Amino acid sequence: MKKMLLLAIMATTLSGCAAVPSGTKQTAFPAMYTDAKPVSMLIVPAINESTAANAPDLLNVTVTQPFANNGYYVMPVSIISDIFKREGIIEGNQVKGIPTSVFKTNFGADSVMFVTITEWDKNYIVIAGNVTVGMEYVLMSTTTNEVLWSYSQKIVVDTSGDSSAGIIGAIISTAVATAATDYVPVAFKVNETAAGALPLGKYHPRAGQDGADPVNLEAKELALSPN
Amino acid sequence: MKIIISCLVASLVFLGGCAATVTEAGYYWGDYSQTLYKYTLDPNEDTLAEHTEELNNIIDKSRELGLRVPPGIHAELGYIRARQGDNAQATAYYETEMSLYPESRLFLERLTATTTKGSN
Repeated sequence: MKKMLLLAIMATTLSGCAAVPSGTKQTAFPAMYTDAKPVSMLIVPAINESTAANAPDLLNVTVTQPFANNGYYVMPVSIISDIFKREGIIEGNQVKGIPTSVFKTNFGADSVMFVTITEWDKNYIVIAGNVTVGMEYVLMSTTTNEVLWSYSQKIVVDTSGDSSAGIIGAIISTAVATAATDYVPVAFKVNETAAGALPLGKYHPRAGQDGADPVNLEAKELALSPN
Repeated sequence: MKIIISCLVASLVFLGGCAATVTEAGYYWGDYSQTLYKYTLDPNEDTLAEHTEELNNIIDKSRELGLRVPPGIHAELGYIRARQGDNAQATAYYETEMSLYPESRLFLERLTATTTKGSN
């Protein structure tokens, strides 16, 4: 009987493992390992489907760094959004109908990134807090119009800090909790997580050598580290 | 007690060290997101000055560490100067961005053309 139970547990564990969709970057995004791989990307203003009015601003100011860190030339987001604003475009939905080739002829960008915020929910449990952020990223070639990379993720960012780290952890937790209205690190973490699933670009030292890197497209729970 | 104190000191040194974090691609970003967010939320002279100072700090620190200045930093400074009417300075910043990142050429040349037209 005990053996049966053990087997049952093993079977559950094994099936649990098999359910996690993971693979390599090259098998997940083959176009990014061909000549279609872009060097530059233009990130258009985010589409906000969440109830948080400031979510697009938060995402826009934190999107350049992680994607540039991954080796891409990110067209200066603050300038681009200013130009769009003067054209009356303040929201991503307004860009949707524009053919991607426009971003090549007018901006010289060889790819364009569309970002949709599907969810931005804050939860507070006594002193601990977390933010659930649903995001969709679609990177398209401005030459072939094909989807080069896409990433859809619901990320739970723990904003309470790591209390298991003892005294130091407690100090950091307090610091993070005090700055409860500061969601820049949260937005940064979300963009950073997405960028981590993108094959590395020209300006990264390991560009072209990351094809075998694992990519996990499962939902994530992230602790927000203070550094 | 001694251990706790030395732990605290170590962590402070570590946190201080974080101020000069250099990414895998070899970029130093300083407080870029924070100052840009403040400026985006409330665009005024003070928040612009703070963000401009941070952009200059990123350039100085990158130079000091022997790093390539991250994408967009020179372009952003150029854009700020252009809006302040200083076209010569703007062009100089754009030139630096273009030499660091040739992918930015078409965009910045077009931007220069619009800016110059706008000030005529």
